[in-house]
Amino acid sequence: MKIALIAMSGVRVKTQTLAELGVTLPQFVNRGKVVASLPSLGLLTVAALTPPDVEVEYFEVDDLPPENRALIKYDLVGISSFTARINDAYRLADRYRAIGVPVVLGGLHVTLMPQEAQAHADAVVVNGAEGAWPKLVEDFKKGQMKPFYVGARKGVFEPGLYAKPRFELLKGRPYNRITVQTSRGCPLNCEFCAASIRITDSFQQKPVNLVIDEIETALKITQHPFFELSDDNTFVNKKWSKEFLTAVTPLNISWFTETDISIADDEELLNLLAKSGCKQVLIGFESPISHALDGMNPNNWKTCRQPGYVDAINKIQSRGITVNGCFILGLDSDTPETFHVIKEFIETSKLLECQVTVMTPFPGTPLYNRMRAEGSLLKDEYWDRCTLFDVNFTPKHMSVAQLEEGMMCLFKELYNEKQFLMRKRHYMEIAKEILS
Amino acid sequence: MGENSTEQKLRQILSEYLKQDLTDVPGNEDLIDYLGLDSLSGLNLLALVEKKFQVRFDDEILWSLRSIEKLCDGISLAQKQMSDL
Ligand code: B12
Repeated sequence: MKIALIAMSGVRVKTQTLAELGVTLPQFVNRGKVVASLPSLGLLTVAALTPPDVEVEYFEVDDLPPENRALIKYDLVGISSFTARINDAYRLADRYRAIGVPVVLGGLHVTLMPQEAQAHADAVVVNGAEGAWPKLVEDFKKGQMKPFYVGARKGVFEPGLYAKPRFELLKGRPYNRITVQTSRGCPLNCEFCAASIRITDSFQQKPVNLVIDEIETALKITQHPFFELSDDNTFVNKKWSKEFLTAVTPLNISWFTETDISIADDEELLNLLAKSGCKQVLIGFESPISHALDGMNPNNWKTCRQPGYVDAINKIQSRGITVNGCFILGLDSDTPETFHVIKEFIETSKLLECQVTVMTPFPGTPLYNRMRAEGSLLKDEYWDRCTLFDVNFTPKHMSVAQLEEGMMCLFKELYNEKQFLMRKRHYMEIAKEILS
Repeated sequence: MGENSTEQKLRQILSEYLKQDLTDVPGNEDLIDYLGLDSLSGLNLLALVEKKFQVRFDDEILWSLRSIEKLCDGISLAQKQMSDL
């Protein structure tokens, strides 16, 4: 028996002018290009959960023949899903089903929209594949696959559920970046978050020895890969974090992750981080304006933290770790003046990298439900605009056009050669300090 | 300081820092590619050179300083700019 697992890869922007502008923004595009080539850790995990007597092949959607050519037949096809390309995923599923190949859909989007997905699949798996996929494959072998399977929302890294992603399936493919997951979920619980928090009940932490084993395995199949931890918030548990940093340092790798600013409170952690090969941390500041953060987290965590933003950035960056500061445009209290405030903050805080995106109501998030109730969604199922760059709602204090134009102008101001050089220079000055 | 001694000193500083002997690397070799450096490591090297030679490169030429030759040119230019002040 042979199963094909297909990743809907690549990055997406719907609005033409944005896509065109993107092509001319150096820093922005460079990062886009490198990350676009990341493999699907979700499917490598699904592969690992497949019974060993079943053959598995891994594909990126671009590996497949185009719509006017015939697809190769498999006994079963599994497709993963993020929202932005869900319509492409459904079309692909329909093509396979049309030639008699049964299709299973899984992943973030279908977990949140299972009924919608069922119209295009023989089976839908919600939540993590852990706890669902092994059973599905056994049922399939017996000709008894059911239309719906519920995966685990907790204990996913514990024996019995956990399986080490099959990095060896990437052998021979030109990946220079590999993702490894150390946790699922995040206690901050931001209203807009559409990441793994939506497939977990609470924060799940992978034991350090398993993470290290995964990194070592990935190192065997790629030369000097750059590691991206595909977590929502890596250093939630400071004790675990220090153990992990101590264990990862001797591996001599370069890596990146997503976290929150509480790491700046802990000198010991920062020192370990600097020694560990961590090149960059991505932090969601969301806005430099305190009241814009009100209501974002159940306990207003980010509002309380906002006064410490600049200090935290300095503390982290002074160790030679760059902070990629993320900001959201179109928050409820944002006005046409906000763009300027964000630009000023990014410049004065001397952030070494920044990522500005537009507020995006992804399906299944509290934000989506609120906006739907308030009637501010431009269209109910605007999935192909769920890219973090295309506007799909009416902001409270400006028009859609004002938000789009403000974003374009801000992009031009932030991602140009002059800013790029300023950031380079600032990094070099920090590096010189560290050298002494 | 003559061109040659700048080059020698530079090769020595880089070799020590990178723990890799660079004495025989051709002067026009692209170091970033040769050493397989990511962009931050490249900037670390430039920071090291600025510090050791007590110069400051023009920001506009940073991206071009990728070989021993180009670095030596950059150092002499920066030294000249300083003495012209
Ligand atoms: C790595 C990454 C990427 C890689 C993805 C590589 C790939 N092909 O998978 C790249 C760079 C290509 C990428 C692209 C995009 N991304 Co992205 N990305 C991430 C990131 C950082 C980690 C994802 C990850 O690896 N998770 C770990 C794995 C193990 O989890 P998983 O995929 O959910 O898989 C589990 C289950 O879902 C399930 N499962 C998944 N697939 C399947 C399939 C089957 C058959 C079964 C049974 C089960 C199953 O089982 C798995 C194991 O439990 C997350 C942010 C984060 N911190 O999580 C954002 C994230 C997933 N990305 C996001 C976005 C918005 C995008 C883009 C739209 C950006 C853009 N403008 O282009 C595009 C998506 C376009 C597309 N291709 O669909 C959003 C998605 C929200 C959503 N609900 O859709 C996230 C959550 C970030 C955010 N800011 O909110 N991304």
